[in-house]
Amino acid sequence: MSWRRVLTLARRVMRQVLRDRRTVALLVFGPMLVLALGAILFRSKPAPIPLGVINEDQGLASPVVGTINLGQRITDELAASDALAVVALSPDEADDRLRDGTVQAAILFPEDFTTHFLENRQAVLDLRLEGSNPTRSMAITAHVTQAAMRTLASLAGTGFGAAGVPGAGQEEAALPVSVQATYLYGGEEFDTMDFVAPVYIALLGMFFVFLLACVAFLRERSQGTMERLAATPATRAEIVLGYMFGLGLFALIQVAVILFFTVWVLEIHYRGSLALLFLVIALLAVVGVNLGILASAFARNEFQVVQLLPLVIFPQVLLGGTFWAVSDLPEYLRPFAYIMPLYYANTALRDVMLKGWGLARIWPNLAILVGITGVLVVMSALMMRREAA
Amino acid sequence: MTTDAVLQTNELHKRFGPMHAVDGVSLSVGRGEIYGLLGPNGSGKTTLIRLLIGLLRPTSGSIRLLGEAVPNKAILAQVGYMTQASALYEELTVRENVAFFAEICGQNDRAWMDEVIQLVDLQERSRSLVRTLSGGLRQRTSLACTLAHRPRLLLLDEPTVGIDPQLRATFWSYFRRLADTGVTLIVSSHVMDEAERCDRLGFMRQGRLLAEGTAAELRRRKGTSTLEEAFLQFAADGMEVGLR
Repeated sequence: MSWRRVLTLARRVMRQVLRDRRTVALLVFGPMLVLALGAILFRSKPAPIPLGVINEDQGLASPVVGTINLGQRITDELAASDALAVVALSPDEADDRLRDGTVQAAILFPEDFTTHFLENRQAVLDLRLEGSNPTRSMAITAHVTQAAMRTLASLAGTGFGAAGVPGAGQEEAALPVSVQATYLYGGEEFDTMDFVAPVYIALLGMFFVFLLACVAFLRERSQGTMERLAATPATRAEIVLGYMFGLGLFALIQVAVILFFTVWVLEIHYRGSLALLFLVIALLAVVGVNLGILASAFARNEFQVVQLLPLVIFPQVLLGGTFWAVSDLPEYLRPFAYIMPLYYANTALRDVMLKGWGLARIWPNLAILVGITGVLVVMSALMMRREAA
Repeated sequence: MTTDAVLQTNELHKRFGPMHAVDGVSLSVGRGEIYGLLGPNGSGKTTLIRLLIGLLRPTSGSIRLLGEAVPNKAILAQVGYMTQASALYEELTVRENVAFFAEICGQNDRAWMDEVIQLVDLQERSRSLVRTLSGGLRQRTSLACTLAHRPRLLLLDEPTVGIDPQLRATFWSYFRRLADTGVTLIVSSHVMDEAERCDRLGFMRQGRLLAEGTAAELRRRKGTSTLEEAFLQFAADGMEVGLR
């Protein structure tokens, strides 16, 4: 073992790395960018969840504290919570508001809510959940239950409430609050995997073909065949489209494998049509191919492709609505979500798989994906022109 | 200068920042001619060829290939271009490479592809993957790809660099046979003994075309016995011109 040789080697390696300024920049700024994004997202307070309240409770006159309206009291308690934004609704608009996403859940207090509670010592909350995000459904259920329990507990001191609330010495241990949940989409059988599955599928559908395209295009340039191709009548757009269709076949095979595995092997719940799912993922794969071609222009070798990966993947995952809903992002980060192809695929896939929406409702997202593809094809062709000049 | 020249340039200039890679080159090459571009490394031969085929845009000056102004994608279907490195698809066979470059130029003549592969004596290896071929065989495959679409004009950038003398002689006999069928060839080289095989030569140095003519003419003009000496004398003249 000659330490001098080791040192000579080490010096050469250092010199090589230093000469590749992008690598050095990436070593320094790459982690900072990804960490900063992560920190912002993990620390950001989720936006208040819009909760619709339909209060038809007539209340009950009490000899000690006057008329008491439990529905109203719980509503006030809910409104005091930072996590919820209470919206008063009329009974017939609840489902529409759930469907268009302006409320995530709706709670109904029937006319006899107060009397019913007094007679049965039990408050049954009629909660209608949007249901496509199980984590959010659970959070809403928990907030509503807690608010109801706090309200009932605050009545304990009054003559009215004491009767119904299990205080000290009361034999009944059961909670006086139960939630009767119904779901617009999904349901209790939907678990977190069902919610995450659409975005998993999107990620896989995009990034394997991204890599494939990036490396294939790069090799074309490093082996000199791109120069040769440029000296034929083939135009840049033709080359980009040729790659798109050539790799597209394999992307479609992969999409089929992904769908087969998630739906039949992992038994992910899904609502909408399988053909539509295929269409969305296939579109995303096309975006992936073109993103790969574009990215290859920024890499001189396979090593640099690997460096590019986190820069392409992390922002898309973090900002594209994969784990954090875009509405929960800080306002200044939201515009970035809207330039991430993954965001539109995520949205479309969730709409199809969890809500069972059809083409008629998800087409805007697909149209944007097609538009992004067009922009990427043009950008790739322009990048090739810049290289040639 | 004849107007029916296959290749014609007029006062061609290409600058890369402060570097004058091609400096006022005016060329005219006729049908069936083998024109040798001779000059040391870095004299601007590759840049000139890349300008001719439209891979680079000239800073000033004009180019006409086969009667059309460059850049023009359509005429490239009749132009064959061979780079110094044998640019081939490693995962494809010899024949698949040849067929690809033929078809991309709209040529689908299978008999001609066979002929081209035969011309470079690769019929026995035509089903071999390029990955498995030696350097010389790759260079021959590369030439086959250049010829695959029946070009009328060939731009060959140091096609014989790095290959053994025997193969080099073979290549030059191909070139002559092609020229005899009316194909025009521009061949760059920095090997003087190849120059003797060209119909006409252009000496290049520092981006400038120092002198043009047949090998015999160039030797006679400087009264030297070898082309190499003639080149050095022309180069010395060029320096004087530069100093003045």
